[in-house]
Amino acid sequence: MAKPDGYIEIRFGPRWKYISPARADAIAMATSELLENAVKYGASEDTHCIVQAFPDTGVIQASVTNQATEKNAADIRALYNKIMTGDPLEAYITQMREAATRTDGKSQLGLVRIRYETGADIQLDITPTHQVTITIIVK
Amino acid sequence: MNKLNIAPINQGKIQVDLLDNADGLTVKLVGDIDMEDPSLLLDPFFEKVHQGMVAGKIPFVVADFQGLTFLNSSGIKAVAKWIMKLAMLPPDQKYQIRIAHNKAITWQVTSLPTLTFLVPGAVKIQ
Repeated sequence: MAKPDGYIEIRFGPRWKYISPARADAIAMATSELLENAVKYGASEDTHCIVQAFPDTGVIQASVTNQATEKNAADIRALYNKIMTGDPLEAYITQMREAATRTDGKSQLGLVRIRYETGADIQLDITPTHQVTITIIVK
Repeated sequence: MNKLNIAPINQGKIQVDLLDNADGLTVKLVGDIDMEDPSLLLDPFFEKVHQGMVAGKIPFVVADFQGLTFLNSSGIKAVAKWIMKLAMLPPDQKYQIRIAHNKAITWQVTSLPTLTFLVPGAVKIQ
């Protein structure tokens, strides 16, 4: 069946009883930020999100994939390189100060917020066709 | 209406109001700020509060986030923009923003304290 113009696909796995509410909240915040950006800057309707928990290691991983334009893919690469440098709190404060002066409607705070508030490892993968995947790994 | 005659925001899941209290003023934020660009609502509101605080020489305002279940990064930008206005004021016009937060809401515990670093002395967590 053809997909409608707008849709949300949600898949439910086992109940996450082994994850504390605070960690779950942090992952929810991070995933919300990633999804918001993926939809806002996506070049197509296809945005994919998967959140996985690995009880054996205690790792939680969330990935969001979307199709970007060449420019947006380059912009996210530049932002990633910038905010992943140095101390997470210092990077967050610097980015907040810069955000306060922006007039283009963007905040560019999502990734740096995730980095500081969740302590996650953040990975960025961009394919030659500008498909962007951001993965956060919370240990 | 409050003493600065600033009208509340009541749109969708967001309610923001300026309330008079015994000590001064409280900006009360309630709901869920996850819209694409909350600055469109928040920037004009915070600007009016800022101008009123300066004109009235009011020493502090409480920013009450306790009823706000979520604030996206675009919303954080709007709050940061308000706070950064304090950096531009001469000493005799400065006022303080006192943040009231809910320790049961995870994002408030992790996000709101970072705002105290933007302008030294301008923001205090209650």
